[in-house]
Amino acid sequence: MASTPRKGPRGTPASKNDQINARAADQSKESAIQEQKARELENEFKTKHFGVMGVLTWILLLHIAGIYFFTKGFLLTRMVLDNKSSCQELPFDIIPGSQHVPSNQQANGCWHQKSFDKAVVIIIDALRYDFTVPFVPKEESEAAHLFHDNIPVFYETAINNPANAFLLPFIADAPTATLQRLKGLTTGTLPTFVDAGSNFAGTAIDEDNLVAQLHSAGKTLVQLGDDTWQALYPGYFDANLTRPFDSFNVWDLHTVDNGVNEHLFPLLRPENKSKWDVIFGHYLGVDHAGHRYGPNHAAMASKLQEMDRVIRDIIAALDDDTLLVVMGDHGMDIKGDHGGESDDEVEAALWMYSKRGTFGRTSKESLLPPSNAKERPIPQIDLVPTLSLMLGIPIPFNNLGSPIEEAFAGPKGNDWANLATVSRLTAAQIKRYQAAYEISRGGADDEESSSLWSAAEAEWKAGSKSFTSKSTAVRSSYELYRKYQRHTLDVCRGLWTTFDVPSMIQGVALLFGGIALLVLYARGMKNDRTELSSQLLSFVGVGSGVGAAVGSVLSLFGFTEMSTIDLSVFLAAVGSMAGSAVVMVKKPANLTLPLPNGMWGWLAFFFTVSQSVGFASNSYTIWEDEILLFFLTTFGVCAGISSMRQKTTTDRVLGVYHSVLFVILGRLASFSRLCREEQMPFCRSTYYASSTSSISAPWQLGIPFAVAFFLPAVIRSFYSGSKSYEGAATLWISYAFRFGLIITSIFWVLEGADDGEWLPLSKETLKTIRVFLAQLVLALALAAGTGAYIYSKPCISISVNKPPEDPNAPPAPIIAGVEQKPRTTVTILGFGNMYGTRFFFLVLNFALAIILLQKPMGQGAIALLVWQILSLLEILDTNSLTLSNSPIGPIILGLLGSFYFFKTGHQATPSSIQWETAFIPLSTIKYPWTPLFVVLNTFGAQILAALAVPLTVLWKRPLQTSDRVSDQGAKSANPATKLLSDVVQAVATHTLYLATINLATTMWAGHLRRHLMLYRIFSPRFMMGAGVLAIVDVVLMVFAVGGVRWSTLSVGEIFGW
Amino acid sequence: MASTTSSPAVNATMSQPPFEKPSAPPINILPSQLARIYSLVHPTLLLALAASRFEAVVANPTRELLNNLPWLALLQLFYVVLCVPPAGSLETTSSGDNEEKKKASPRSPTAPRPGKSGHRRKQASGKNVWAGLWARLMPALLSVTLTTFIATPVLAALLVLFGAPLTTHNAETVLCAAHMAFLSASGLVYAHGVDGLVWKEVWGIARPADAVWGGALGTGLGAWFGAIPIPLDWDRPWQAFPITILAGAYIGYAAGSLISRTPFLYGKRVQFAPEAIEEDEKKTN
Repeated sequence: MASTPRKGPRGTPASKNDQINARAADQSKESAIQEQKARELENEFKTKHFGVMGVLTWILLLHIAGIYFFTKGFLLTRMVLDNKSSCQELPFDIIPGSQHVPSNQQANGCWHQKSFDKAVVIIIDALRYDFTVPFVPKEESEAAHLFHDNIPVFYETAINNPANAFLLPFIADAPTATLQRLKGLTTGTLPTFVDAGSNFAGTAIDEDNLVAQLHSAGKTLVQLGDDTWQALYPGYFDANLTRPFDSFNVWDLHTVDNGVNEHLFPLLRPENKSKWDVIFGHYLGVDHAGHRYGPNHAAMASKLQEMDRVIRDIIAALDDDTLLVVMGDHGMDIKGDHGGESDDEVEAALWMYSKRGTFGRTSKESLLPPSNAKERPIPQIDLVPTLSLMLGIPIPFNNLGSPIEEAFAGPKGNDWANLATVSRLTAAQIKRYQAAYEISRGGADDEESSSLWSAAEAEWKAGSKSFTSKSTAVRSSYELYRKYQRHTLDVCRGLWTTFDVPSMIQGVALLFGGIALLVLYARGMKNDRTELSSQLLSFVGVGSGVGAAVGSVLSLFGFTEMSTIDLSVFLAAVGSMAGSAVVMVKKPANLTLPLPNGMWGWLAFFFTVSQSVGFASNSYTIWEDEILLFFLTTFGVCAGISSMRQKTTTDRVLGVYHSVLFVILGRLASFSRLCREEQMPFCRSTYYASSTSSISAPWQLGIPFAVAFFLPAVIRSFYSGSKSYEGAATLWISYAFRFGLIITSIFWVLEGADDGEWLPLSKETLKTIRVFLAQLVLALALAAGTGAYIYSKPCISISVNKPPEDPNAPPAPIIAGVEQKPRTTVTILGFGNMYGTRFFFLVLNFALAIILLQKPMGQGAIALLVWQILSLLEILDTNSLTLSNSPIGPIILGLLGSFYFFKTGHQATPSSIQWETAFIPLSTIKYPWTPLFVVLNTFGAQILAALAVPLTVLWKRPLQTSDRVSDQGAKSANPATKLLSDVVQAVATHTLYLATINLATTMWAGHLRRHLMLYRIFSPRFMMGAGVLAIVDVVLMVFAVGGVRWSTLSVGEIFGW
Repeated sequence: MASTTSSPAVNATMSQPPFEKPSAPPINILPSQLARIYSLVHPTLLLALAASRFEAVVANPTRELLNNLPWLALLQLFYVVLCVPPAGSLETTSSGDNEEKKKASPRSPTAPRPGKSGHRRKQASGKNVWAGLWARLMPALLSVTLTTFIATPVLAALLVLFGAPLTTHNAETVLCAAHMAFLSASGLVYAHGVDGLVWKEVWGIARPADAVWGGALGTGLGAWFGAIPIPLDWDRPWQAFPITILAGAYIGYAAGSLISRTPFLYGKRVQFAPEAIEEDEKKTN
């Protein structure tokens, strides 16, 4: 694309020829005027650029406020206290000198006389209560289901020998997933979505728990079955005897169960009794039968019968000193699934058995096991104090459960002294926990609980004087302590499991308002957006100021229950939206109906809205990666169709070529997958060497080299297309960028060498070399790259051919039409794509940094993303979509960003965050770098796509200077601000896509807050959407729009304004 | 997705294709009574047959799709031979039509009036039945060949690009593509042969609406929408690939070939750009 434009004043070589003084003076005057005009235009551009940044900052703040209010009401958090109960330290302040154990008698139990030395704890996963009790028809016609009456052992023993066994409904707290349940069953606390303070990356439990207490009491623990235990309690179980089994394959009903049986029964033989103290056996067959067939199936019946035989066999092998506990960790719904909090899912069964006969019932009504789960249910956390005190270990610090009455009432059911003692111990521990929680969190004990506590203490003192276990004082103190425990549990449940719906609605309202304004700003305005900034910002400022003031006044005078800060922030956001709405709607002439028009507009609208609607369904959320591929291919096909309709052959051929390329590249990238659990078994992970590892396969180490070889060549070919492979481009793309990529490849070979121990170097040496290489690449990409980006010239080469006969002729015609005599011809290569190729350097810098921080498979994906972005830009250009401000470009970039998020080994689940990538350029955790690197790894694709957004209007944008467009009308005197306005429109459209996705995921998560998949699917997707929106807002404002400043300035410097 | 020109702002000149040379006009169903009736029966019949085999396809997709493919091919061929003017005849028809238009009828600029051309055809076939048969047999053979060897691979590739598995389920993909090809391409090839201009319009989705093109476009759109239920967790056996896609394709074919013949749509073309608005912008600039 050679061209001979008029030269701008900056490019004019100073003509120092004294022969033609007058002309020179004239010219210098003219050029001075021009220079001044250019400076004015440049300053105008700079000012407006700041204004635009201000508007984008306001949008960012609005989003953050909306997300904040929703999150405050939605994400329930609980502080995790690290305190541990210890044997020496009883929970009372003063140890009462009663019959209780002093600490020296550990052999008899720590806080309380232990009743058993050993225990066999069996978990039959998903053992619902109604499986265990005889079927009683509620109406005449009701017949027993296949799952009824197949495991009668519990009921029979509890009826025949009440002193040896009892059976109770055992109510789980949602989420009823095994991992969450095991946490509850061992720590005695309630589950919340975010356990603040816990290690988010790992699953190991930090809180005080039964397993840890048993371990520190010196017991030998054996775990058989479900391997979830290994993730939660690593290192606590005896390595020789423990046999974990993969819990993942729900189609397999028998492997785990047979494995548990195979290893459990030998341990129960007398000769092996000394090898262990507590066995945790976890059967999965019932759960898997439920998942696979549902409860009402013959497979479930036979599985339950099998379990019945197993329990009877265990009873037969049991000795007198061993406690047998059998329980379900949760139930199952009518389809056999679980996770939510419907009655069927939370109603599990608990059965305890001992040959010694220590259990009792305090009343006749409780003699029979409850006929259904609505009678006398106990919360699952009650197991924690019960088991602790029976085995003589301290109650875990965070426990909120109560001791189970039947276990401590004595065979006659009248041991009130014992009941009062255990209840007091438990209540005291709960009180101690509450005190510690209040210290770290703030807040005070409520009146009811303190009055309950003091009443119970008073009764206790009265009862301990009378020394008769039947005294009413002892009994009532027991009941008061129990009341205190239940009351505290209710308070905590309210605190930790109740959503703050008004706050959620406020958040959604702010996000919704933000989108409405963004629709107006991005799609509904005809005039130059940059002219609006100053007025918009001042109205926003006034609006938010007024809002904040009103908010603080209202809350100071006590009109609302919201805190001052919250109310001020909320009203400030509302005020700013009102202010901006006034500015935008003020001139109706500038408004157009923000409806999509044409095929592209509707396509962009359709992609955004249908994806948003789809997030209401867990399936479409799970399969988001495939759906994005489907949409991207649809776009590619539409682009091909549209290209076929182009009039010029070049446009048609190029357009079809790039459409085909776009589709094929997307499909190629789709082979990089990391499946989430819910996608099984219809998905095969390829991101790592195998589905169970998180290291790359050896062949994948070739990918970085292929990227280093091909990617710069691909980019070069796109530059060459417009003859823009000139100037800085050569150095940048083929040397610096490729050098960085080669270093990256070497890095990953060393990483592979470390994993596979191929090199005779110590791990420390390898690590040092790797860290050095990684930091070198980052310095090249972000430090050197940014510096070079600011000072680089556009990718053009200018050659000046002066005619020999008149070398002094000044090449400065003022009006383009004036014909000069022999004149200098200036050939400019790369003239056709100056803005685009110049700005693309920024994308390259970030691409290099992001590629470094991806695993090899992800590097290939990011390279494909860069290629696909370039291909998209060509499609936009050949279909004349760059200058018409079509929404399709920014929206497709949004889809691409989301798509490649999945292709770089991520999923919308917290467990897929690749924390280890923080250690690519660092050997220890360093703030703020570590989180930044994790963000660059996780959201690298979205960041890269966002950076490319300005290119949707800059790619192959023809040069426009003030004198070139001035003849078309004085409407827009400064073409640079028109360019800026186009960029801002594209950026706002991209934001609109992400904000819509965020609003949709937010609303669905809030609406489906009682859905059984909330914790697994909707909450993580909401958090991802919010995170992406905030991060991309920042990237768009600081880097994308910020970068336009330098690229435009550098073009203006050469070609004028 | 693509908006059809139903907007009143778009006048008749805008529904002209973006090509300089005039391409083949929309197809008319042959005028014989039998053809006219069967052309309405055929899509319905096809849909009914597909519905009757649905259970069997769900039970064993590959075998059933393979067994049904020859029947689909035969039915489609029977339909086009009976109802659609074969390739080659169209040029004479359209040129004859042009002459006719010059003479008398400016009312229908694009559509040949079925009665007259059909009348002439009847005379021609009366003279030489064998020549008429031959004129239909050749396009029919061409149609089968191209549908099998070009349309099927192209559609199979498209299915894979849209996310169909590449390493597994290959038989399903190819059979799905073959069914879609016989629904969409067999009619197009039979009616238009290898007319470059027409195929350029086909790739640009710029053909004027008629029974053949409507069926083809409907097949594609139906298949697209048919993919929607696949990810849902309803655990129904019919959600397996490619059953819903084919169901969508059959429904789309039937709907497309019937709807595109209604006076409201016949002869209209799918528009991409908002031309009315572009016009506005030109004025304001």
